[in-house]
Amino acid sequence: MPADRLSTTFAALADPTRRAILARLALGESSVTELAKPFEMSLPAVSKHLKVLERAGLIARGREAQWRPCRIEPGALKVVDDWLERYRRCWDERLDRLDQYLRAVQTKVRRRGRRT
Amino acid sequence: MAQSNAKPDAAQTSAGQEFVITRSFDAPRELVFKAFTEPERMKQWWGPKGFTVIASKMDLRPGGFYHYGMRAPDGSTMWGKMVYREIVRPERIVLVNSFSDEAGNITRHPMSPNWPLQMLSTFLFAEHDGGTILTIKWSPLDADETERATFGSGHESMRKGWGGTLDQLAAYLAKARPD
Repeated sequence: MPADRLSTTFAALADPTRRAILARLALGESSVTELAKPFEMSLPAVSKHLKVLERAGLIARGREAQWRPCRIEPGALKVVDDWLERYRRCWDERLDRLDQYLRAVQTKVRRRGRRT
Repeated sequence: MAQSNAKPDAAQTSAGQEFVITRSFDAPRELVFKAFTEPERMKQWWGPKGFTVIASKMDLRPGGFYHYGMRAPDGSTMWGKMVYREIVRPERIVLVNSFSDEAGNITRHPMSPNWPLQMLSTFLFAEHDGGTILTIKWSPLDADETERATFGSGHESMRKGWGGTLDQLAAYLAKARPD
């Protein structure tokens, strides 16, 4: 089965270099050369990362021949944020039920203990 | 007796970790662990309120799985599957969970094709103050094939999942607008 959008996005975000690139792009668009500066990494290596981010829809790159500015696509991360929120809420509710269950079980045990 | 349950702390993330949630329970660790590993107990809390468990089969060992079906109040059914990777009683369970069908196949979220296919989930049970602290870590498992090909088999960070400041970044960037 092909990867789903969210998993592709997560895979793109799994790398600290790529997250750092995104954080930089959040401040405004940039060239590949500029982006590469903070990392001790070759331009081809940075380009590989950019390709991953682009394929995940997290960044877009301009088409100008010489200089292909990279810019962030915040919409893609909103999808992640929304998903995190839903998943978190789902687990919150589930753990509430677990809590109730654990209390009920222990109350039952204590009551049984008192009767004997 | 231990204090009443503090509500999460919710979703904390730490650098290099998968997405994490922690909760404390006023119950002994062994009991909390049992709640996750005995099908009759799972039935009592896993599904949302109003859902009835219509099928439940658990084979609790590495490589085994828990397959369950639930009927929603509206009559629709949802199936889930957890494939166990590690079980260390009473402290750790590692499994891969996903949506499923009646036959036990792995499927996508019935209502959301972009929900990750499989989630690698780790449950840690720690004793604390007479009670238990549960830590749940998860990350999507179905990494893009092309991604792996691009970086080669040595690129571990992809398989471990995503993490650290991810949700902070996501929340921040979701609000950021390129000007």
